[in-house]
Amino acid sequence: MSTLSFNNISTEVLSPLNQFEIRDLLSIDALGNLHISITNIGFYLTIGAFFFLVINLLSINYNRLVSNSWSISQESLYATIHSIVTSQINPRNGQIYFPFIYTLFIFILINNLIGMVPYSFASTSHFVVTFALSFTIVLGATILGFQKHGLEFFSLLVPAGCPLALLPLLVLIEFISYLARNISLGLRLAANILSGHMLLHILAGFTYNIMTSGIIFFFLGLIPLAFIIAFSGLELGIAFIQAQVFVVLTSGYIKDALDLH
Amino acid sequence: MASRLARTAVGAARLRPSVVPRVLPALSTVASPRYSSGVPSEDPKTKAQSIIDSLPGSNLMSKTAILSSAAGLSIYALSNEYYVVNEETVVAFCLLSVWGGLIKFGGPLYKKWADEQSDKIKNILNSARADHTQAVKTRIGDVKQMSGVIDITKTLFAVSKETAKLEAEAYELEQRTALAAEAKTVLDSWVRYESQVKQRQQKELAQTVIAKVQKELENPKVLKQILEQSVADVEKIVSKA
Repeated sequence: MSTLSFNNISTEVLSPLNQFEIRDLLSIDALGNLHISITNIGFYLTIGAFFFLVINLLSINYNRLVSNSWSISQESLYATIHSIVTSQINPRNGQIYFPFIYTLFIFILINNLIGMVPYSFASTSHFVVTFALSFTIVLGATILGFQKHGLEFFSLLVPAGCPLALLPLLVLIEFISYLARNISLGLRLAANILSGHMLLHILAGFTYNIMTSGIIFFFLGLIPLAFIIAFSGLELGIAFIQAQVFVVLTSGYIKDALDLH
Repeated sequence: MASRLARTAVGAARLRPSVVPRVLPALSTVASPRYSSGVPSEDPKTKAQSIIDSLPGSNLMSKTAILSSAAGLSIYALSNEYYVVNEETVVAFCLLSVWGGLIKFGGPLYKKWADEQSDKIKNILNSARADHTQAVKTRIGDVKQMSGVIDITKTLFAVSKETAKLEAEAYELEQRTALAAEAKTVLDSWVRYESQVKQRQQKELAQTVIAKVQKELENPKVLKQILEQSVADVEKIVSKA
């Protein structure tokens, strides 16, 4: 946040990137150089976990047989993720990865939605979170592949029906492509959320400037405001779509490790 | 100027009676369908009441208190810069509009869908319960039909006991009959054997006699004696005649 001083009037100019700044909310310096802190990202991730816990507790519905509205929402999410897992990985062997994929989906979705709450913080717009997820997932899938196939796992890098002369080049390309999964998976999610929030703030800044320029401009500013509202709705859709895309790709990577194409 | 105004006024007053009856009905006939046929006109009192009802609070006093205190707090927060209206406010307004719209319009739709799902599950469970109750009732009816099963079993046991007894007797009689038949067969065979032996002995005796007679006949003395005897018999018969 930069501060401009002009004739003793201090005006704060909000940068669209301010919202993504990681700050210490609570920090303790203990035992000399040990710095323990709760940052805003940690705080909002904790809120997400708490929110997930509350939703699950509400969905349990006192162990009643007939579902309530919360349970039905969870059940429909369950069915959606289950169909993704069974269709993407394997209807039989893919079942054991379902809890992981479901948790991943809920984690991303809830944190995306928390980012949509005014004055909150979008944890999934941070590459540190999304890259941590994507690198862990791709590394885990690779370990899974080696555990299941041994050195035969490298056949994943050899395209079927490849001419022998082109083999070194194609293996190199496939290897780079495989490594790029680490980046692309996390980058896709963070970039979508980051760009959405940034665009929202940039457009809101323009609209605010228009609307505060005069009474006529206030009413004129309602037009871009309507556009921003529509864009916010789109962001809500993106929150769901990106969570789904992330788990679909994760399932695809696990399938590659299991079946080697 | 004043006279012209007065003339206009007079002219207007003179014209008014002739225009009003002719024009107004025509206007009202044109206007009334347009305003009455489209959107149904809402009573302003009802509209005002609905706005008042939508405010938080249970009665008019609490609504007024909540509104005024909210306004006061907002002014206090704004004036002391506890809340600063800036670009974030626009973002907040947009996001809250989206969330509000989602809750207002999507909420009832989701509630309806969830209720339908819940009702579907309830119906399945209730029908399963009804089916189970019916099955239990049917089973009870089936079992009830077998209430006299002890007496029937006792009777059946007695009958089976008697049958076994009769079967034992019948078997005994059968054995006796078989034994008698066996004895009869043996005796018959003995009788047949004896008769055969007797026949054979008689045959042998006859053959011996015939052989002896034929042997005797070969003896002339015997022949002569027979002849003499025969002549004597003939003579005797003739003499009697």
